[in-house]
Amino acid sequence: MINQTFQYDQTSVRLQIEGLPDLSIDNDKECLGIISTWTLSLVGSPSLEGKREHLQALMATVLPYSRHCISDVKSSFGDASGPIRIEPSSKGHKLSLVSSKPDIPPLAINLDDAELADLVHCLDDMRMDPRVKINWDLPVDMPLTKRQIAYKTPLAQRIGAPLIGGSLLLIYSLLLLVLPIPDGEERKLNDQTEPLEVSLTTKL
Amino acid sequence: MAINNCSVLTRRSLERLDLLLLVIESLDLNASQAMTWTSAQLGLEHIFPNPVELWKRRCHNPLRRTSRRGKLNVEESEALMILLCAMAQRLYPLLHQLLSSKEPESINSQRWQLLNQRFSDLLIERMNIRKGAVQRLLNRNYFETNNKQLVLTLAICAGPGGLDRLRANLLDESP
Repeated sequence: MINQTFQYDQTSVRLQIEGLPDLSIDNDKECLGIISTWTLSLVGSPSLEGKREHLQALMATVLPYSRHCISDVKSSFGDASGPIRIEPSSKGHKLSLVSSKPDIPPLAINLDDAELADLVHCLDDMRMDPRVKINWDLPVDMPLTKRQIAYKTPLAQRIGAPLIGGSLLLIYSLLLLVLPIPDGEERKLNDQTEPLEVSLTTKL
Repeated sequence: MAINNCSVLTRRSLERLDLLLLVIESLDLNASQAMTWTSAQLGLEHIFPNPVELWKRRCHNPLRRTSRRGKLNVEESEALMILLCAMAQRLYPLLHQLLSSKEPESINSQRWQLLNQRFSDLLIERMNIRKGAVQRLLNRNYFETNNKQLVLTLAICAGPGGLDRLRANLLDESP
């Protein structure tokens, strides 16, 4: 069996995957259908290693996070109890990793925007590589709804128009309540004057 | 390059797409020529055979000084997005430098200053500055934050892998 090794490089990130072609589904010998191990090296941080499931979890966390980043929506991705979590931090982005081995403490890596972009590029290069014949089953990038991006708009701008509209409606309603309702005598007078006006107009 | 189906871009999406292309022009002084070469390399010359055709498509941005009515069709919208991702990939080292916190701070601040100056000049030259949205873009409090967000968008959407992210971002609902 030929062991395949593919490497994806960016300025501050290197992703290396090793595995074998899946001959059961007629993979070419130059392809990789089964990942045996992967290594992610981030400059200034310890190397990360794992199985295919961990790489899938990393992609399922980092790629949607970056999708939200470009819409300027800062939210965390990944379960707090899960192996991988990414969230915005004061230094940029905090990637938290929990090892499946009991004696290894959790690791937190701070990434700046450039390192996040490098990581996303490496993951993109790998998933778009025609030699890697793996169905990653990742969430599809979807447009964000109004509710998801609502907090970007200042509160005053968001509630300003409904507040002004509601206040105006209330003020006009109160003004209408203050207006006196014509009593019976006024109504009679109005009834008498109307035919006169009509007759005048007809004569003219 | 194959063009997939996507929804027609809204006015706001066209504004954002044109602003991203304007950032590319601020980073690369020969960007308009490079865009024509890149579109030919990507097999998009039937849509953008020359810089004028590209400019005509970009003029659908309602903030432009000479704005065109109507919307871009699906093929044109997708071609512009593919071109943007390819141009961002071409300029990725520059985008990386701008976003990196590991770069010397004094040099990086000068890079940002230069980019902001060029971007502001291009905005004044090409956009209708009487429009409130353009004035808001040029507002000092908002300008630098917005530029950083545009550069980050370009960095994350660079390359063919970023196309789906860019498309989803442009089709975000307006708040």
